[in-house]
Amino acid sequence: MEVTDIRVILAPAISLLCAALVFLAGSNKHWRRFWMLSAATLKLGVVMSMLPGSLQGTVYTWGMIEFTPGIGLAFRADALGMFFAVVSSTLWVITTIYAIGYMTGDEHRVRFFGFFALCVSTTVGLAFAENLLTFFLFYEMLTICTYPLVIHDETPDALKAGRKYLTYTLIGGAFIMVGSVIVYDATGTLSLGHPGILSAELGTRTLLLIFVSLVGGFAVKAAVMPLHGWLPSAMVAPTPVSALLHAVAVVKAGAFGILRTVYNVFGVDLLEDIGFAVPLMWIAAFTILAASLVAIFQDNIKRRLAFSTISQLSYIVLGAALLTPFAATAAIVHIANQAFAKITMFFVAGAIQRTTGKTNVHELAGIGYRMPWTMGAFTVAALSFIGMPLFAGFITKWYLSLGALESGEYWVLAVMIASSLFNAAYFLPIVYLAFFKAPPGTQLRVAEARPTLLISTLVAAAYVIVLGTTAEVPGMPFSLAQAAVHFVFGM
Amino acid sequence: MAAWPHWLPLVVLAPLLGAVFTPVVSLRSRHVAPWWALAVMSATSVAALFLVLRVASEGPFSYLPGGWQPPYGIELRFDEFSAVISVICLIGWLAVLYSLRYTEWLREVPKQRIPYYYALLLLNLGGMIGFVVTGDLFNLFVFLEILSLSAYALVAFSGEHIAEMAAFKYLLMGAISSLLVLFSVGIIFGITGSLNMADVATRIGQLDSAAPAALALAMLAIGFMVKAAVFPVHIWLPDAHAIAPSPISAVLSGLVVKVGIIGLIRVYQIYYAAGVLDLHTLNQVLVWLGAISIVMGAFFAIFQDDIKLMLAYSTISNVGYIVMGLGLSTNFSVIGGSVHVFNHALIKATLFLAAGALIYRTGYRTLTDLRGIGRSMPLTCIAISIGAISIVGIPPTAGFLCKWYIALGAFEADQPFFGFALIFGALFIFIYYIRMVNAFYFQAPVHPEILEVAEAPLSMLAPTLLLASLCLIMGILGRIPLAFIEPAAARLLAPLGG
Repeated sequence: MEVTDIRVILAPAISLLCAALVFLAGSNKHWRRFWMLSAATLKLGVVMSMLPGSLQGTVYTWGMIEFTPGIGLAFRADALGMFFAVVSSTLWVITTIYAIGYMTGDEHRVRFFGFFALCVSTTVGLAFAENLLTFFLFYEMLTICTYPLVIHDETPDALKAGRKYLTYTLIGGAFIMVGSVIVYDATGTLSLGHPGILSAELGTRTLLLIFVSLVGGFAVKAAVMPLHGWLPSAMVAPTPVSALLHAVAVVKAGAFGILRTVYNVFGVDLLEDIGFAVPLMWIAAFTILAASLVAIFQDNIKRRLAFSTISQLSYIVLGAALLTPFAATAAIVHIANQAFAKITMFFVAGAIQRTTGKTNVHELAGIGYRMPWTMGAFTVAALSFIGMPLFAGFITKWYLSLGALESGEYWVLAVMIASSLFNAAYFLPIVYLAFFKAPPGTQLRVAEARPTLLISTLVAAAYVIVLGTTAEVPGMPFSLAQAAVHFVFGM
Repeated sequence: MAAWPHWLPLVVLAPLLGAVFTPVVSLRSRHVAPWWALAVMSATSVAALFLVLRVASEGPFSYLPGGWQPPYGIELRFDEFSAVISVICLIGWLAVLYSLRYTEWLREVPKQRIPYYYALLLLNLGGMIGFVVTGDLFNLFVFLEILSLSAYALVAFSGEHIAEMAAFKYLLMGAISSLLVLFSVGIIFGITGSLNMADVATRIGQLDSAAPAALALAMLAIGFMVKAAVFPVHIWLPDAHAIAPSPISAVLSGLVVKVGIIGLIRVYQIYYAAGVLDLHTLNQVLVWLGAISIVMGAFFAIFQDDIKLMLAYSTISNVGYIVMGLGLSTNFSVIGGSVHVFNHALIKATLFLAAGALIYRTGYRTLTDLRGIGRSMPLTCIAISIGAISIVGIPPTAGFLCKWYIALGAFEADQPFFGFALIFGALFIFIYYIRMVNAFYFQAPVHPEILEVAEAPLSMLAPTLLLASLCLIMGILGRIPLAFIEPAAARLLAPLGG
């Protein structure tokens, strides 16, 4: 059932308005905090208010703002889009609290929070985009709005990373534009509201061109190897930016784009027939393993997390490429699972950096004595990535394995096992160092991060456990993922 | 009001006569000149508005001075492409307003000569209006000369040390192109005995030998390509557009190069209708030159530090889009190309006026010198940013739809390579604009005093912001110009049979 509902555009509009108010508030920090927090909460409320309807199969839409006949902006909150929107607006609230604590005293706070809100606005715009053009618009806006955040420190290093970031993502964006033009030329529509709009009659050449343009373009932001180069460099940004944008919003926009391409542009049946998904599957599997291997040898905490992100994102790509219902469930829920676990880790990394000034893994010996709660949160996230039951990451691995068996790709199981081992190999040493090694010097006093940082970290960690234990409880986002899978596979 | 027939001659005569009388009315006080020019442009704009309304409601119409029937008398012909006079009037009006402060600031220019500046500007605008509304080939040449000669003089007007050189280079190339146009008009008159465009089209169709018509076509095409600054005959443009006073740069880059495009469209109208020549080769040449212009213009822009020089190179790039759109000769691409004539005029005028305001306030014109200006002139820099986003073609700005349509045309014509060239050419342009945004907002100032600079004065800020908002509006309401130009594009391509 489709209902026209203003909330679909209200959600991105709130963040947009928030950005405007933050810029207007200027250096008045009380107003700025007020706008940030109330907008984040309000937006979460708006998105959540659509959740019950969405779970019952209602699709909220908002009509087309046409630039020209057939080409325009349109919004549609289907189950898949709602899932992404719920995740990103929940994280916005947590990250806002964290960022307020983290950025205190920074010189360019106004710019930071303004563009931060803009980015969140575009993320929800992406989630609710009804057609490829709307999607492309928000995708490019996301690129532009994140640029000032990446180069926030304005150091030569940051500017260089910013350039690299733009080069990668803009070239990716151009490919998406090319793909969209070909789709429109071939079908006369850009809609993302169907389980596939292309048909085999277009010929392999056109279909291949579309597949390579769209998936290749999105794969840049999803950091699929070898298109991942920008992500580790972009870690020069302040930690809340890395957390929300480089573990969640930007990279997930790419992964979400791949899901949309596979499920709503091509459709699983067509892809099954033409077999384009097979090479994508191999590339994703390669990325999972290769990035994990690289991560083991990174000493800088944020770089290690960055390569872990690259590896984790390809779970989503792999799940999409397997083209079975279970694998699709895994791909969709991993958007949430990876987001909460990874944001916990980034929060921890940022809290450690702000509290102790440490940025490298080898400096972490005994940090667990000083910051037990923070490192406890890290442990939760690490166990989730390893795939322990009771934690969010287990759900992904379980369904991905089921999906692999369903499609007869048994080697994927081996990839899952190897990936778990690698995850253990690069996260557990941190836990070990933190809790089981004696700290240098003798100070064993507990000196936690300041409350804003600690609380948001703990909340994010709590979500990891909630997502892992209560997936089947009615009303949880998991059922949204299942609804999306049912739509995609026509079940 | 819109039905009154005499708006059409008035829209041409008003600026031309206004130009002639500018020195006279400013005899007493040179300060009268800008207000006189403003009044003249206001009257012209009113006439233009009625004409555009009329063509939108009833389609193309003609005016026959003295009632002489074509092909014996001169015909003024107003079709959808002529509606470009609306942007000519708008940008012309704003350029005059903008010049109010800007000309006073040009130190090298003796103050008593300023009225001549306005006279030349009006002459230039009048020439352009005449060019796009005439239905007569010889008039086409005459108006081309009026606007070209005034443009050469205006380039030299800034008085900067290489201004004469730039103007001379422009003059040299411009004169060659005018000669080519004149010769081919002569050939056409020789073989058909007529100068009226519609009449010429039918008569060429009845000729025994197509060879002279083909020669005329080639010369016309090259002549107009020089005026439009298509690669490889673009070499006059960067210096001329960068050196001219900023309001003139806006007029030159936004409007005057478009005269070449309108000229090409007129040539196509004649030769498509005549139907004796297969234009496939010319189209293919245009598409290739368009693609090369896009990439080359963007590529050179990347290496410029002078902000106006970079804008000038980006004009070459954008003309490439339009030429490619015309050459692809599909419905989508021609619509996209024609609308980009309008939109690029607005975008480029925004950028040049904003850049001029920066130069006016700071006296610097390179990106390195202008670092940090975004903090002291926020509104002007926002206008530049909007212009930059539009010219790169990010939705929902004015530049997007044209690129979308032209790219669509490339795939429709089954030449996907050009679709790729177009979209990736836009990336090159983006790189430069990011350098600009970086310099304005994120890099530490080289000259600390730049942070103390005041925002541009109202007479310069208002036109810039108005144009910047039009860059957005033309994108969001993009369906209006597209729907407006559609019948004209369909009529142009009708002889191709589809």
